[in-house]
Amino acid sequence: MLKKRTTYIWIILLVVLLILFVSDIILGSVQIPLKDVLKIIFTGQSDYPEYLTIIFRFRLPKAITALFAGFALSVSGLQMQTVFRNPLAGPFVLGISAGASLGVALLVMGISTFTVISQIGVVGNWTIVMAAWIGSGLILFLILAISARVKDIMTILILGIMFGSATAALVNILQYFSNESMLKAFIVWTMGSLGGVSLTQLKVLIPSVTVGLLITFMLTKILNAMLVGENYAKSMGLNIRVSRFLIFFSTSLLAGSITAFCGPIGFIGIAVPHIARIVFKTANHKSLLPGTMIIGGIVLLLSDIISQLPGHETTLPINSITALVGIPIVIWIIIRNQKLSSLS
Amino acid sequence: MQNLDKILKIKNLEIGYPSKKDASNILFRDINLTGNSGELIALVGKNGIGKSTLLRNITGLQQAINGNILFFDKHKETYSRTEFARMVSFVSTEIVNINNLSVFDLVSLGRFPHTNWFGKLKSDDIIKSRLALEMVGMDSFARKNVNEISDGERQRVMVARTLAQDTKIIVLDEPTAFLDLPNKYEIVHLLNNLSKQENKTILFSTHDLNIAIQEADKIWLMLEDEIIEGAPEDLILNETFNKIFEKSSLSFDKVKGDFRMKRKHSEKIGLFGDGVHYTWTKKALERLNYSVEKENELIQHIKVEIKDNLHVWKLIEDGNIHEFYSIYDLSLYLKKYTK
Repeated sequence: MLKKRTTYIWIILLVVLLILFVSDIILGSVQIPLKDVLKIIFTGQSDYPEYLTIIFRFRLPKAITALFAGFALSVSGLQMQTVFRNPLAGPFVLGISAGASLGVALLVMGISTFTVISQIGVVGNWTIVMAAWIGSGLILFLILAISARVKDIMTILILGIMFGSATAALVNILQYFSNESMLKAFIVWTMGSLGGVSLTQLKVLIPSVTVGLLITFMLTKILNAMLVGENYAKSMGLNIRVSRFLIFFSTSLLAGSITAFCGPIGFIGIAVPHIARIVFKTANHKSLLPGTMIIGGIVLLLSDIISQLPGHETTLPINSITALVGIPIVIWIIIRNQKLSSLS
Repeated sequence: MQNLDKILKIKNLEIGYPSKKDASNILFRDINLTGNSGELIALVGKNGIGKSTLLRNITGLQQAINGNILFFDKHKETYSRTEFARMVSFVSTEIVNINNLSVFDLVSLGRFPHTNWFGKLKSDDIIKSRLALEMVGMDSFARKNVNEISDGERQRVMVARTLAQDTKIIVLDEPTAFLDLPNKYEIVHLLNNLSKQENKTILFSTHDLNIAIQEADKIWLMLEDEIIEGAPEDLILNETFNKIFEKSSLSFDKVKGDFRMKRKHSEKIGLFGDGVHYTWTKKALERLNYSVEKENELIQHIKVEIKDNLHVWKLIEDGNIHEFYSIYDLSLYLKKYTK
C-alpha cells in the first residue's frame, strides 16, 4: 500500500518536473510553440533562426540553472535542518550567502571606491562569480575550522549566524560609502537572477552542483543517524568530525555555487524540505533526499515561469517570487500540521 | 550457562570535566567496577554525583581523565569506532521525538554499524530489526510515527534500537525517568529478562532504588567518595544503603527493603491487632510521630477488632474508650488530641 503510494508520487513529481521544464522554455516575452521547442531540443535545428538564439542563448541555460539551483538549495537546506535538528535552518545558516555577498560587495563597491575604476562593465560576470565563491569559501573555511574544535553543534549554528551578521555589517559599511550606480549593481545582485548564467558558465555550475549532490547522496546513512542527535549517532559508530566536514563541505559547494552564479536565492532551502516531508510522510533520507531535490526543481522552475510574467517584456526578481510562492505553501503546511517544531 | 568472564572492567577510573586551570572538575576518583554477562546492573546514586558522566565514559561519549575501561579484557582504545558500536549501545536521557520518523526506521538505525556505506538494509538487517521490536513487545507499532506513541512505548522502542544494534553491552541513562509507576517496573523487568535471555550485560542508572533492588543482579552504588558494588541483598544486609542519605532525613528499612523518613517519635502508643490491619495502622501512627509498642496495655493504646463484620479501631486512654471505623477518623482524633 505504502510502497504503491510512493511510486505514484514519484511518477507525478517527475511528470510535473518535465512539464514545468518544457513550459519554462516555451513561455516568456516571446511565446515559442511546443513543436518548435521540441524540435530544437532534439535536433538542434529550426526553421526560425531567432528561436534557436532565444532557446540556446537564453531559455535553455535559464531553465537548466533553475533546475540545478532548485536541486542544490533544497538539498543543502535539508542537510542543515537535519544536522542542526532545527526546522528553520536553511542553506545559508552557516553564513555562506553572507560571505558571498561580502565578496561581491567588495568587488562591486570596494573597487569602485578605492580605485579609479568606476565602470560596472569592467567588473565582468565571471569576476562576480569568483568574488562570491571566494567569499563563501572563506566562510566555509572558518566554519570547518570551528567545527573541528567545537563539540556542541548548536554552538556552530550560533557562530554561523554571528559570522553572517558580521559580514552583513561590513557589507552595510561598503554600501554606505559607495556611489549610486555601484549600489544598484549590488542590490540587483542580491535580488537573485537565474538568467545571467551563460552556457559556458553552466559547464562550471553543473559539475559543481553534481559533485555536491553526489556527496550528499553518499551521506544518506550519516544524515539518518544525525536525525537522532550527535550523541546517538556517535554511539552507533559515526565519526562526527568527518561527517560534519563532509556535510558542511557539500552544503557550501551546493549553496555557494548557486549563490555565486545566481545571487542569494532565499526561501527555497527552508521551505522545500518541509514540503517533501509532508508529501513522502517520512524522515528517512533515502526517500527524503531525492524527493526534496525533485520538489526543489519543481518549485524553482515554477517560480521562474511566474517571474518572467509570460507575455510581458519585464521579469521580476526571482528572490521575490520564491518568497511569494513559498510562503503560502509553508503557511498552509504549518496550519495543516501544526507540528513544525519537530519537523526535522 | 555462559562463562562469567568479566565483560566490563573499570580500573582506577577518574572521571570529570578536564580543565587546564585546576583539578576541581574531577567528579570521581578511584572507580573500580566490573560487569559480567547476563547481568542487569543498576547504577544508583544522588543527583549530580556523576552517574551520567560515568555512563558517558563507559559508552565512549566522553574521555576519562585517568584510568582504564576494559571490554573483554582489552582497552577501549584498541577497538575501532565500528567495532565499539557493535559491542556497546546506548540510550541517553534525550527524548527522540521526530515527526514522520517511523518506529521501524528508528529501530533499524540500530543496524548502523552493521550496514554498508549507504545504509542499505539487507534481509538480515530487516529480520533483526523486526525481532528487536518483537522482543520489546512493540512489533505492532512498526509503522507508527515515533511522535505518536507514549513515553513508555518510546522507551521500549529505544531499547529495541539497542537490540537491533546487536551489542553485548547495553547502557541506559535513566530509562525510567519520564515513566509512570507501572511503566517503570515493566521497562526494568524487560531489561532484566533481556539480560538473561540474550545473555547481555545491561547497565542502567536510576533513582528508583525499589525497582533496582527487585530486578538488578548487581548494584553500583555511588556514594560521596566511593562506589560500592554488590548484589542488592548484600548491600541491604551490610547496611550500605543507609550511607546514601546519611545526611538526609531518610533511612533504609532492612526488613522491608525500602526507604523511610527518619522520625522523631515523641509519644508512645500501644497497638493490638493482627495481619495487614496491624501493619497499616502502625504505619499511620508512625506518620503521626508515635512510637508504636506492640501489645502494651500500660499506656494509651489502640485495639483493632472486628465488630459486626466491620473493623473497628478502639482508642483506650485513661479508662476512656473511643471507637473509630477508619484509620482516617482515628488519625483526625489523634491530631486534635495531641494538639
